[in-house]
Amino acid sequence: MGIRTENLTRTYDLGSSQITAVNNANFEVHEKTFTAIVGRSGSGKSTLLNLIGLNDYPTSGRILFDNVDVFSLSSSERRRIRLNHLGFVFQTFNLLPTLNAVENVELPMALMGKTPREQRERAVELLETVGLGNRLSHRPKQLSIGEMQRVAIARALANDPETMIADEPTGELDSKTAEEIITLLLDVNRREEKTIVVATHDQKIVQMADRIFTIQDGRLAQEK
Amino acid sequence: MGVVIATTFVIAVGATTLRYTTVIKEMNVLFNGQVMVVSEGAIVIQAIPIGGSMLPQNYTEKKIQGIVGVEKTVPILFVTPVGASGISQLVPINFSIGIPVDDWDLVLGPTPLKGNSGHFPTSESSNEVVAGVSLAEQYNWTEGTDLKINGYTLNVTGLLDTRLALLGRSIIMPLELAQNVYNYQKSVNIITAKPAKGYSQEGLAKAIKQNVTYVNALTEEQRNDIIQPILAQIETWNLGLQTVIFLISLILVMTVTIMSVSERRRDFATLDAIGAPLSYVFRVVIFEASLIGVLGGALGLLFGSLSALVLANLFTNIPLAQFFPSVLDIVPPLFMIEMFAAVVLVCCAGGVVPAISAARMRVAEVLRAEY
Repeated sequence: MGIRTENLTRTYDLGSSQITAVNNANFEVHEKTFTAIVGRSGSGKSTLLNLIGLNDYPTSGRILFDNVDVFSLSSSERRRIRLNHLGFVFQTFNLLPTLNAVENVELPMALMGKTPREQRERAVELLETVGLGNRLSHRPKQLSIGEMQRVAIARALANDPETMIADEPTGELDSKTAEEIITLLLDVNRREEKTIVVATHDQKIVQMADRIFTIQDGRLAQEK
Repeated sequence: MGVVIATTFVIAVGATTLRYTTVIKEMNVLFNGQVMVVSEGAIVIQAIPIGGSMLPQNYTEKKIQGIVGVEKTVPILFVTPVGASGISQLVPINFSIGIPVDDWDLVLGPTPLKGNSGHFPTSESSNEVVAGVSLAEQYNWTEGTDLKINGYTLNVTGLLDTRLALLGRSIIMPLELAQNVYNYQKSVNIITAKPAKGYSQEGLAKAIKQNVTYVNALTEEQRNDIIQPILAQIETWNLGLQTVIFLISLILVMTVTIMSVSERRRDFATLDAIGAPLSYVFRVVIFEASLIGVLGGALGLLFGSLSALVLANLFTNIPLAQFFPSVLDIVPPLFMIEMFAAVVLVCCAGGVVPAISAARMRVAEVLRAEY
């Protein structure tokens, strides 16, 4: 699934002032590539990812998935795109605390209407792939930060989406765990042939990326 | 906890008022098709005269029988004795009824004797009575038991096998015996008059009032008309009380659910980010709210039923243990189902606003608010 933005702008009203988090961004994510968006904290990386992850609305401009303006679709159609075609990994993982690891991974499949057996088999397979085959019934509180990030990645892959978007996936991790997660993301990109878009300031991720965009004060520029 | 307390209160008060209105309605079956003559000052609750003076039996009966259109008269002495402690109870629960033995049917209808054993007092009997099962169970009376009332020894010849509260709590005896025991010789407080063929109750009641002084004659419809507004008022108050309590429960559940949803903003926003349909998030919150209703309602039913039994015990002085076998009479199953369904519905309704708010949560806004 090709993703393209045209003059994408997102402005937030803060009472009397306005902040433009993303300013007239034009960029394209090619299928099956590993794209990194690099920038400092507060530069607009997360806003941009939330926009292309369909978690936020643009103030102006367009986002096109396979040349279709997704904001011309209904909100329920955008939900379906989020459920079926996108996998989102949050910096803060956003696992549901009342569900254990396998249930968290099963959730998107349940929402898609897969049978409990299908859900369980796929969830176990994914958790084993990310190295958590022995932590299936652990709740988020019982997992380390690195393990939580792995569960979040497994959840993002649950419905076999074409594109995975990860917002600073190594931001909260120590260097060893960060390396493991980077390897995992690269593996997902290379072996599973998924399109990966990552917001990061981790140089190790940047070095691995096929394409790199930098963002500063909401303005996007291509480096590689 | 709030839902449990609210349900307990609604069940306890509702079941208690329902119990008494049912008892009053049950009395409607007595004196069917008859004009009921009582003293002018008496207040009549369906079949029970309260207050007013006694009627001289022979004189009044003779006067009524002299009116054209009267087929038959039956004199009845209806006594509501004071409670065991000597204090009049809030709700009279023990009755003695004196009625000529040939006219048992007027009060008893087809009521059988328990176990089909024993017999009804005969016209020759001087001290034989029958007693309602509820009274008999309370005081351990059986067939053959001798009762001491006002110095008279009365022999129980049978137990009335009935679920009607009035008959279940009555001692029924020949009229003359009742007049002697309660010291109302030659006096009664009810005379029923059956209209002859071709005569209406209304016409007969009018004629009786015109021809007999100091009496009030009430048709079946008039007796109902007296009590209906009172029953309607009781039911309205009960409904009002239930509405207020359910409204409080609704606000309570809404508040609790709003708090619960706002504590899990990130979770609901995550569901949105994953692509959960609005209806899914909505159903999750409504389910949680209804769960409060199911658990609170179930506990409320239990505590409410127990409270209704305790209230029945307080109002009647009948031992609590005696109510347990008949708990379903005091708190009828249909009433339980209605109240349980109402509680669950109220809780679901209380979850609607929080459910809408949960379904509208967007992950970008929630995460931005957290930073």
